Formats: sequence, structure tokens, C-alpha cells
Amino acid sequence: MTVEDVKRTENSKALMLANEAMVRAALEADVKVVAFYPGSPVSEIMDTFSEVVDHFGDFKMEISANEKVALETVAGASMAGVRSLTAMKSVGMNVASDAMFSIAYTGLKAGCVVIMADDPYAHSSQSEQDSRYFGEAAYVPLIEPANSQEAYEMVKWAFEVSEKYRTLVLLRTTTRVNHARSMTQLGDMNRTPFERKKWKDVKDQYFTVGAVARELKIKLLKKREAMKEQFENSQFNKIDEGEGETGIITSGVCYLHTKEAMRNLGVSLPVLKIGTINPLPESKISRFMKDLDTVIIVEELSPYLETRITALAKDVNPSLRIVGKRDGSFSEALEYNVPIVEKVIATTLGVDTSVDYNRYLERAAELKRDLPERVPVFCPGCPHRGTLWAFRQALTRLRIRDDIVFNNDIGCYSMAFLPPNEFSDSMLAMGASLGISAGMSLVLEDKVIAMVGDSTLYHAALPGIVNLIHHNSNVTLFVLDNSVTAMTGQQYNPNTPFDAGGRSARKIDMDKLFEALGADSVTVIDPYQTRDCIDPIKEAIGRDGFNVIISRRECALYGDRLKKSRGERIPRSENDKETCRNIYACVKEFYCPAITIDESDYKIMIMETLCDGCLECRQVCPVDAPRHIVGR
Amino acid sequence: MEKTYNILFAGVGGQGLMLLSAVLGKAAVDAGLDVMTGETHGLAQRSGSIYVHFRIGKPISPLIPYGSADMLIAMEATEALRYIEYLKDDGVVIMSKNIMHPVAETKAVALDKTRKTKYYTLSAVEEQLRKVTSRVIALDSLGLAIQAGNARTENSVLIGAAAACPDFPISSEDLKNAVLSLVPPKTRDANAKAFELGTEAGTACLQ
Repeated sequence: MTVEDVKRTENSKALMLANEAMVRAALEADVKVVAFYPGSPVSEIMDTFSEVVDHFGDFKMEISANEKVALETVAGASMAGVRSLTAMKSVGMNVASDAMFSIAYTGLKAGCVVIMADDPYAHSSQSEQDSRYFGEAAYVPLIEPANSQEAYEMVKWAFEVSEKYRTLVLLRTTTRVNHARSMTQLGDMNRTPFERKKWKDVKDQYFTVGAVARELKIKLLKKREAMKEQFENSQFNKIDEGEGETGIITSGVCYLHTKEAMRNLGVSLPVLKIGTINPLPESKISRFMKDLDTVIIVEELSPYLETRITALAKDVNPSLRIVGKRDGSFSEALEYNVPIVEKVIATTLGVDTSVDYNRYLERAAELKRDLPERVPVFCPGCPHRGTLWAFRQALTRLRIRDDIVFNNDIGCYSMAFLPPNEFSDSMLAMGASLGISAGMSLVLEDKVIAMVGDSTLYHAALPGIVNLIHHNSNVTLFVLDNSVTAMTGQQYNPNTPFDAGGRSARKIDMDKLFEALGADSVTVIDPYQTRDCIDPIKEAIGRDGFNVIISRRECALYGDRLKKSRGERIPRSENDKETCRNIYACVKEFYCPAITIDESDYKIMIMETLCDGCLECRQVCPVDAPRHIVGR
Repeated sequence: MEKTYNILFAGVGGQGLMLLSAVLGKAAVDAGLDVMTGETHGLAQRSGSIYVHFRIGKPISPLIPYGSADMLIAMEATEALRYIEYLKDDGVVIMSKNIMHPVAETKAVALDKTRKTKYYTLSAVEEQLRKVTSRVIALDSLGLAIQAGNARTENSVLIGAAAACPDFPISSEDLKNAVLSLVPPKTRDANAKAFELGTEAGTACLQ
């Protein structure tokens, strides 16, 4: 339904995720090139573009190997004269930022917008990184919306700003904005056909080093000055008039929490909502706080606004009391909600909160005391479960469980740090397992083992692999080849013969790649033949040199989709209770959520509604009790 | 609508919670009501705990404050208890009787040779919920779905039960139309039946 809202030609109101509203806005702004590497919380932006790429047929789209390539792709398209857009999660910007700092210097041609999403609470990220600093550090304008409507409007404005000042524009969101759905007023959809251009008609120079860079820096400073006035007066920096000597400065989703908290408290304090984070509307901020006695600054993560507002207050209102993070009222950790904001406002005003929130939290904790935790596990049918089981068996048989170091990487398989595996000595950043292994192998006596998925392999692991092979390192590398970028929603990557929208692409031949790089051995295993994986893993780990084990079987969710598209039924399994001897190997060493215990006889029971029919459980069962249900 | 009506949806990844929320979203929008949601997307793994904050009326923040949900709809029973801090005193709980046991719990049950370790039960969930509210609707949603002719209509059973609540802000008619307009055409009859069975069961529970 929402894809229909993205496609429709007329303006109307629609209930949309901010991620969908931003796609709609970019299409209304006639974007011509988009490129992405998926990452939560922005994956739905790429997925929505993928769903409509054939429908429109008038823009180009690529699923890039990583965020840096995606950013360079859209920057290249801008230089070539068409509007372009990319979106990435916070840590994706770390990868892309090398190019971004230079692009800021050279500037661009056509409108180029980067959506960049932070993840307070680290719902699905390695850290609670605050990426607002990127704008200021790179001299790139950065704006921040509070909801779908504003996200929609800001994307359109960002294209205009980008063209006017010939600069990249960063649109920073947080998970709560990306994944909130609200009513959005759309505009008209007037697309133009895609036309190739000639370089001589659009050309300019995009080159920066030394003397050129020094010249560009001066221009960059002037550009920032030129932008300031427009940003000062932007509709996205707005003051809600109110009463009293206490005011609030906020931005993003915190503005919404603040407004609701004030409604709950029955108070109406003046509020300045900041939409342009860089450059900041300094004059507006100064005017707003000039006559206040106290200002409450509501922002998640670092005291970015607070630090800058404190500096401004020194000149316009030195006695201003600032309630924020520095005085301990708010935390720099986790994400905010209405109760957190309401408590600080209430304390500052010396009143009670509208609801005794602590009572509900304390009561809930008491009620849930015995409730079993639901820790994430691999899906039923996941090939990683079999790979990791076989890996553990191999370590046990080699008697080296305590003589290895295991460097994990980013993907579903990061969950190897949870039971029943519980081995991950490190897990840092995309592809980092290889570099970390390089350092460890220089120092440790132990066997060094790294693990990456196929998408991570092509994203950022290749330089680390080249480095290990070049230095004759003794490292065993597992590549979990499940065909797609599974964790973010089974998107295509260079390991598939498909691109966005299912269009054809060239699949990189992984086995030949490792051969060509000079790996000492490449072993391919099938995790569904789980028992048969143990010996090849033992052999590969036992060898010296750089040895690769490719565990190849498609992601269960992707596999189910393929089966359904071919009209095949997904088989289900059952436990043959006659054969089952209550050994529980499938329970203690395997952790499949489809397996439960029948409390009447304490035999295991396979939940038909959850089972994917992979029969990996039969492979780990010493007596082969699980089997397919005949006729299903 | 002057007041904001808050619903917290809870469930386990893979149960179709997002579709349930989309159906209700469409129903509310078609009824001319303002809607806002705060959803869990992201890591694609199934079997994790997930939720949707669903707000109708005049919400400002996408997140429901603690103690402020009028209704909690859980597609799995223990997930109702997991988010209980959101429910207001005497709010409505609509939940499936289905329990999906976490693997660590299964391991504890299997390996206890004394057989004293038992699975967390539906009655334990209900007992705890009743300390907060008397309005608990526990449905055999799968059984009712099968009775309706299609095991995959559990969502419609739960939405049908919501329609049984007197203070629910969307009319039963609007709710049903939204359900039927979003389900695959060949499952319409089964979904309509599931919706009705849900309403009947919900009405019975509230009496």
C-alpha cells in the first residue's frame, strides 16, 4: 500500500514511514541516480526505491559494494549533471567520510543529498555514534527532521540548497524518525525522462590537493558564510511561543517528546526547534535565550547543541541557567521518550510528572521477574547454525578450543557471541576481523580465525585479505556465503547475479577470487550436510598459511522466497519419538527456535509453524530422530 | 477525536506484526483519524521480541509513555507481559494463547533431570496481567483461524477482538473493511469469518 503512495502521481495525504516519505520526496524532486549499501535504520529507503525502479524507469539505481562507493557514485552522477541521493547508517558514514571530506572541498554540480541515520540505543548498530559532528567537521550543511512530513520537506529543500551552494547536503535522522509512521502531505509527481549528457556540456574540475586545497578551503569558508543567512531564516528553525522565563531548545524526535511532555504537564513553555544543525541559526538561538532565566536543552546522545548554545550564552546571557547533560539532568546514553523528557521539565519547574512513570516501571519489573528472556537467535533453517556447530565440533576434536582466537565480523553471524556458541573475541566494524587478525597473528601463539559473510567480504574485507595473503599470515578465514545481505532484509550484493529491483548484474566468482589472490587453500562446505563439514574444517584449521573455508547455502528467508517463487512447498520436519532417546543434542548444542520440549514425555517436538525443514537438527542428532513429514 | 487512543502491539519476529499494524493504520486513516506509529524494523532475524507503538487521535510523540496504553495486542502471550509497563491501569489486553518458548528456556526444561523446571505457562502470564487489569482477552487465535478456514488468519481474529471493546475508536465496520481490502482476495471469506469469530470471543471475554 505504501509503495502505491510512493508511486501515485497526484498530491494527497498518506500514512508513511519517514523512510518512505523521503523516497517520495526525492522522486518528486526528479532524482536521477540513487545508490546504497543497506543498513538499519535506512534499509527501507533502498528497498522502496528497488520496488519502484521498474515502475518509473526514469532513474538509475545501484546497490553499491559499500557506503563509500555509494557516496562516490552519487557524487559522480551529480558532477555529470543529474540529481542524486544516497542513504546510509551512522557507521556507514564512517566508511564514506573519506570521500565526503574531499567532496566538500571540490563541491558538486547537480543536487546531491545524503541521508545519514544515527541509532540512539544502538538498536541495530555497534555504537550510539553521534554523526552530527560530521557536518561541522567537513564543512557540509546538515539538517535534521522530526517526523515524516518534515523529512519529506527537508529532502526537497536539501536538493535546492545543494544546487544553490554546489555542496553535498547531509540529512541526519535517528532510528525513531526513520521508523515512525505519520500522516504526510505529498506534492505532485512530475518526473522527466532520463537523458545521457556530454561531459563537455557539464564539465568542471573536481580536484583537491596542496595549493588547490588551500584555495578551496578559503572558498569553502565563504560558502559557509553565504549559507548562514538562508539557514538562519529557514522554516525548519521555528519558535513556538509560550509563557514564562524557562524555555526549551530541541531538535529531531526530541521536539515531539518535548511537546507531548508539555501537554501532559499542562504547561506552555517557549520552544525553539532547530532543524538546521550546521550551520546553526546562531542569531535566532541568541534572540530566543536573551531574556530567559533557564533553558532546557533536549537532544539525544552528545551535548552537541548544548556546547554550542553554552558558548553563545556567554555573550548574550551569561547568567542563563542551562539544564542539559553537563548538569546531569539528561544522559548522553540511550534514546529518549516522553517520560524522560517530562521528568526533567517537571523537575526544572518544580512540579510532579503527569503520571508516576516509575511506578509502572517498578511494577512491570516485579511482574516480569520470572519471565524468560527472549534473546535473538538464528532463524529456523539458518545455515549459520550448522556451520558454527560443525566449527565447534572441529575445535573439540582438534582439542584446540582454548588455543584459538576468533575474530567475528558484522552480520547475522555476529550472534556467534551468544549461546550455544559463545565465541567471539572481537567484533568491531565491517571487515575489521581481517585487520585485527593481522595484528593478533603477529603476536599470539594461538590459531587465528576470522569470519565474514559474503556482503561484508565485498564491502570492506578485501583489503584486509590481500594484506594477510601478502604477508604470509597464518589465518583461517570462514566466509559464510548465504547469497544475500541477509541481516538487513536479504538484499542483493556482488555475490548475486542481481541488482536493485531484480535487474541482472554480474556475480563475482568468489572461489576464483580467492585462488587468484593466492589463498593457500579454498574449501567449500555445505552447512546443511552438517556432519560432513567437520573434517574439512579440521583440515583447513590444521594447515599453515591463509586458508579459506566457504560455507555455502542461501539464507533461509531468501531460500523460502525462492521456493515460493518457484511454486515449491517448504518441507516441515517432525521428531520421530520412537527413535528419539532424549539426548537433547538438538537442544543444548543447536538452539533452533522451532524445537521445544513436549512436557508430557520430555521428548523434543518440532513446531510445524516455525520449522523450515532444513534437517540440520537431524545432522546433529546422534540417532537421526528428526525427519521430514511425509506428504508435506 | 479529542483524546489519544494508544495501542501497543507485541509479538515475535516473523509473526506478521507489521501487517497487523498496517491493517489498523489503514482502518484508522479511512475513518478519518490521525495515526502515528513507532515501529521495530531492522535486524531481519526471526524469533526476536518486537513491538509497534500505535497511536490514534492526537499523538505528538511516536512512542507511548509508560502507563498510557489503552490496549495491548499480543500475538504471543509472554510478549504481552514483556511490555506491561506501557498498559494503563485497567487497560485492555488482547492476546493469543500461543506461547513460543525461547531456546534458552527449552534448554533449561530439557536438561533438568529432576523435571522441576517447567515452561512459563499461559496461566502464569494471565495471573500477572490480572494484577494490572481485569480486562484480559486470551484467544486461541490459531484454533479460531483454523475454524475460519485458514490458519493464516490469526491477525484478523485479534483485530476482530479489538472491535469487541466498547471504547475502541474505530467502528467494527471500518475495521473489517480495512482487513478485507488488504488480505489476498482468495482469503477474504476466511478473514471475514476470522474477524467475526474474534469479535464473538472478545465479547465473551469482556462479559
